[in-house]
Amino acid sequence: MDYDVIVIGGGHAGIEASLAVSRLGFSTLMITQSLDAIGRLSCNPAIGGLSKGNIVREVDALGGEMARLIDATMIQYRTLNKRKGPAVQAPRAQADKFLYNRLAMDTLGRQANLVLFQDTVVEILVNTSGRDVSGVLTERGNRINAKAVIMTTGTFMDGRVFIGEYQASSGRLGEPAALGLGDSLRGMGFVLGRMKTGTPARVAASSLNFDLMEEQPGDSKMLPFSFGKNSIDRPSVPCFITFTNEKTHTIISKNMHRSPLYSGEIIGNGPRYCPSLEDKVVRFPDRNRHQIFVEPEGIGSQEMYLNGISTSLPEDVQEAFLRTIPGLEDVRIMRPGYAVEYDYMDPTQLYPSLETKKISGLFVAGQTNGTSGYEEAACQGLMAGINAALKLQSKDPLILSRDLAYTGVLIDDLVTLGTEEPYRMFTSRAEYRLNLRHDSADIRLVPLGYRIGLQSEEVFDRLNKKIEGIEEIKALLASRYMKSSDLDSAPEGFSRHLGKKFGQILKNPDVNIDQLSKLEPRIEEYPREWISHSELDIKYEGYIIRQMKQVERFNKMEKKRIPRDFDYDLVEGISSESREKLKKIKPCSIGQASRISGVRNSDIAVLMVMLKRSNRNEE
Amino acid sequence: MEDYIYDTDDPIVALATAWSESALAVIRTSGRGSVELFSRVFSNSRELKKSLGFTLHYGYIVDQNRKKRIDQVTAAVYRAPKSYTGQESVEIFCHGSLPGIELIITLLKDVGFREAGPGEFTMRAFLNGKMDLSQAEAVAEIVQSKSRQAHSLALNRLSGGVFDRIDTIKKKLVDLMSIIEVQLDYPDDEIGGDTAVPSDSVLHAIEELETLIDTYRVGRIFHEGVVVAFAGGTNAGKSSLFNLFLKEDRSIVSEINGTTRDYIESWISINGIPVRLFDTAGLRNADHPVELEGIRRSEEIIKNAAVVLYVIDGSVGMTDEDLKVFQEKGKGNEYMFIWNKIDESDKTVPRGVFPVSAVTGKGFSDLEKAISSGLTGLEISGSELMIDSLRQRELLERAVAALKGVKKSLANKVSLDAVALDLKDGLDALGEITGEVSSEDILNNIFSGFCVGK
Ligand SMILES: Cc1cc2nc3c(=O)[nH]c(=O)nc-3n(C[C@H](O)[C@H](O)[C@H](O)COP(=O)(O)OP(=O)(O)OC[C@H]3O[C@@H](n4cnc5c(N)ncnc54)[C@H](O)[C@@H]3O)c2cc1C
Ligand SMILES: Nc1nc2c(ncn2[C@@H]2O[C@H](COP(=O)(O)OP(=O)(O)O)[C@@H](O)[C@H]2O)c(=O)[nH]1
Ligand SMILES: [Mg+2]
Repeated sequence: MDYDVIVIGGGHAGIEASLAVSRLGFSTLMITQSLDAIGRLSCNPAIGGLSKGNIVREVDALGGEMARLIDATMIQYRTLNKRKGPAVQAPRAQADKFLYNRLAMDTLGRQANLVLFQDTVVEILVNTSGRDVSGVLTERGNRINAKAVIMTTGTFMDGRVFIGEYQASSGRLGEPAALGLGDSLRGMGFVLGRMKTGTPARVAASSLNFDLMEEQPGDSKMLPFSFGKNSIDRPSVPCFITFTNEKTHTIISKNMHRSPLYSGEIIGNGPRYCPSLEDKVVRFPDRNRHQIFVEPEGIGSQEMYLNGISTSLPEDVQEAFLRTIPGLEDVRIMRPGYAVEYDYMDPTQLYPSLETKKISGLFVAGQTNGTSGYEEAACQGLMAGINAALKLQSKDPLILSRDLAYTGVLIDDLVTLGTEEPYRMFTSRAEYRLNLRHDSADIRLVPLGYRIGLQSEEVFDRLNKKIEGIEEIKALLASRYMKSSDLDSAPEGFSRHLGKKFGQILKNPDVNIDQLSKLEPRIEEYPREWISHSELDIKYEGYIIRQMKQVERFNKMEKKRIPRDFDYDLVEGISSESREKLKKIKPCSIGQASRISGVRNSDIAVLMVMLKRSNRNEE
Repeated sequence: MEDYIYDTDDPIVALATAWSESALAVIRTSGRGSVELFSRVFSNSRELKKSLGFTLHYGYIVDQNRKKRIDQVTAAVYRAPKSYTGQESVEIFCHGSLPGIELIITLLKDVGFREAGPGEFTMRAFLNGKMDLSQAEAVAEIVQSKSRQAHSLALNRLSGGVFDRIDTIKKKLVDLMSIIEVQLDYPDDEIGGDTAVPSDSVLHAIEELETLIDTYRVGRIFHEGVVVAFAGGTNAGKSSLFNLFLKEDRSIVSEINGTTRDYIESWISINGIPVRLFDTAGLRNADHPVELEGIRRSEEIIKNAAVVLYVIDGSVGMTDEDLKVFQEKGKGNEYMFIWNKIDESDKTVPRGVFPVSAVTGKGFSDLEKAISSGLTGLEISGSELMIDSLRQRELLERAVAALKGVKKSLANKVSLDAVALDLKDGLDALGEITGEVSSEDILNNIFSGFCVGK
């Protein structure tokens, strides 16, 4: 055996997968089409955002790399949704994309047990039984063996780029598509589909008039994504905001027939949450302007990213409509916007471990599974890496449940429901999002990272200190009363809180912890992060308790396991539609089974009865 | 939707005997803590809690909040695993009055039992090894047959009109949810600032749901039947009309004969409403003690009837007695006045009195319609809007409670993620009636209604 594990692709999924496997001690080979493109940010130069920022922190807590990469390369930081409640706040940072890509390459290059190799995989090899993966075959004819293979091909499998009438076989503008692999997978009986996504033009900063745009600075203080860091010391640069107008829209409408999206050239579904400007103009004719964020791609780079107006119109049209936009009158396009269409794997062909049901030892992660976004790719890569390693250790896979992590929600949605469009995370996809705050990702997941072996003893101890500290702060707030001697230094109106406990006072929407910690210096001795964590726990206590009750119920069903080889044909009395779906999805638990669309409650009840029966027969 | 069918040890309750008036009824409970929970509504709670399996306990069902005795019952205690389901269980033998049963079940739910799904006791019995395979297969059938026609248990008796009405409210709430979720899922600068959450639509939904909840009374009438009694002078034609109702109605449930001096009672159906129709001795002067007793009972029945059909002999015209009653009750809607024997007389019929003939049947169907609309306060048609199951009412009440939470949170400027939690509860409750709202539905709504995304 040449390697324990081969990772195909060096995108955000591939990075996490290869690091996880090699860090867990397995000899790992990453094969990717271009070593220079490792960790490239194909689209917007930013990491994090609502729910995505939470995912980055989950990846960090489990022992992944993404948070550290962005912490070291950010050029602007913001906490989003500060006013809308803790469950939906999240960090987001602009990245210096050249630095990011460079750091990713270096990190992988320095990793023990990990070998990087430039080539293109054209075929997945299996053993004679046809059921176990045995390695890969590359374009240049290299046949490499491994016990497990993790496929993270992103937008490259049979990728096709579109710019107006121009088309080329390509996974990202300027990079060749990976051909052949898709056919090999289809030949093995996998179901593949087409999806589409797009990106806006990059334009030269020197050609823009920033005076006509609104400046959007970052937060004054940069905060780290990684739980291992306390502060960030990086330069912060602003973004800018401008708007399209009716002239822009007229040009687009007139040239719509030249868009591959509307001429029928592209068949794959695109993401509705991230529509192209063409889509926006067609679908929302009443809007007379659309917002554009002008974002730097890196310090020292001329390239500016025009966030909000992804397009695949011809280049002359792109230039014409851009020039109608305030500040862009003399714009020079450096790279045009484009759409890319690519093969993805129907993710219902995977177990929640991200291993394919058909071929043992073959794992799939990232955009190949029908998702989009760096963070979505990274968390899958990490989980695929962990589960490949656990498999080689003959251990049970690690499956994060929906109440534990956005990562768990994402994977469960994919493998249970599949997806018709590129899947992006939203907080509303998580039914227990109060539990999934970004600031609690370490509490939720570090213990797991430690158990698996991706987190050190030191990190684990640090977490336990934090948990104790938070308990101490809460105990302090629960016992401390508002005294009349406090009134001098208390804000106006606090006299109505006299005699009440601090914990109680904090529950008022208009009271914050800073007001209280001024009165009680012992609070201020704790790290800022712990204090605000305690504050949220207290403010949301009632809601959290309610959520916990729901979670308890949810978990009961998740714990009722269904064996992988369970024979649904032996279950009498369920509808044939349900039976087919159950056979396809092979749910791991009654809980998962009940989430499959179209499987009825009554069928689940019958299934439970039959499961019990087969268990009893075995006993 | 809550996965209540699959939860296998939480405490459940259901009426084990048929849902109809009878001498005795059995209410069954099962699940973790059943004895303790039941003891909270039982007068003899201390003895009950300590009791062994297979023991009987006599006492009262007590409504602790209102400090009121509801019913005198016998409770049988079963300790796990020796019971039908293999779980701790209490069976309650109570009186078979429908309102009483309903009240007991409501009290049990208040202390923590939930209503069992179809076949759920049997399923538990199987899961706990209390049943053999062939019996277990029967479970599948029970569970199947009941839920095949419906999204949920609550749907079983839902008319199309109610479904649409709830669904319309639900759609409005989904819109509301989308307005909230879009703000939670996208940062301010991407959606051009805040969209105000229209708290009007919350108020509106609460109002509409409360209106629906109010129809429950009407729904119950449909369910349990109402008492309708004849009154009027001797020979006015009460018995003839009574017989006409019986003849017209093919769904007679039972017929209980009293003495002629007493009353006769029968279950009939008037436009789908179950009615307990009483023919009484009538109001007249009498001195025979037996007759006096009959009249006293008649008066009792008339007093308790939901609707009194007062018959006037049209061939005679209004007597002094008739006039007296007419003046007293003519304005209210409890009494309906009937002018009988129009075949025999051409006297002008006073306003507000129904002309009929018990002999020819003339005017009879108009009379029926008038009675049924009088009973419900609504025009009755095939798809009338009303809810008639306790479960539906409870779900609607749950939705209203959740929406009131939303209203309060919005007023107190609680952050939107917390508001969303209440709104989701409300949607889930309605979803249990008309079908679940998934997060995908909300996202679809967002993408079609808002231009979002960089
Ligand atoms: C044009 C475009 C627009 C996008 N728009 C958005 C957007 O609007 N919103 C958003 O959230 N995300 C967007 N993204 C997606 C985001 O870039 C991806 O989700 C993310 O990069 C996926 O990571 P990944 O690791 O799965 O794949 P990628 O980052 O695509 O990496 C795949 C890697 O695998 C290599 N590879 C592929 N096949 C083979 C093979 N057979 N052999 C060897 N190596 C191989 C490739 O060379 C590449 O390095 C866009 C991407 C593109 C290209
Ligand atoms: N012509 C005619 N006779 C009627 C009608 N209704 C009742 N009668 C007669 O009136 C008499 C008294 O009727 P009955 O129903 O016993 O009256 P009750 O004492 O009010 O119950 C009987 O002889 C009936 O046949 C009617 O509509 N038309
Ligand atoms: Mg009579």
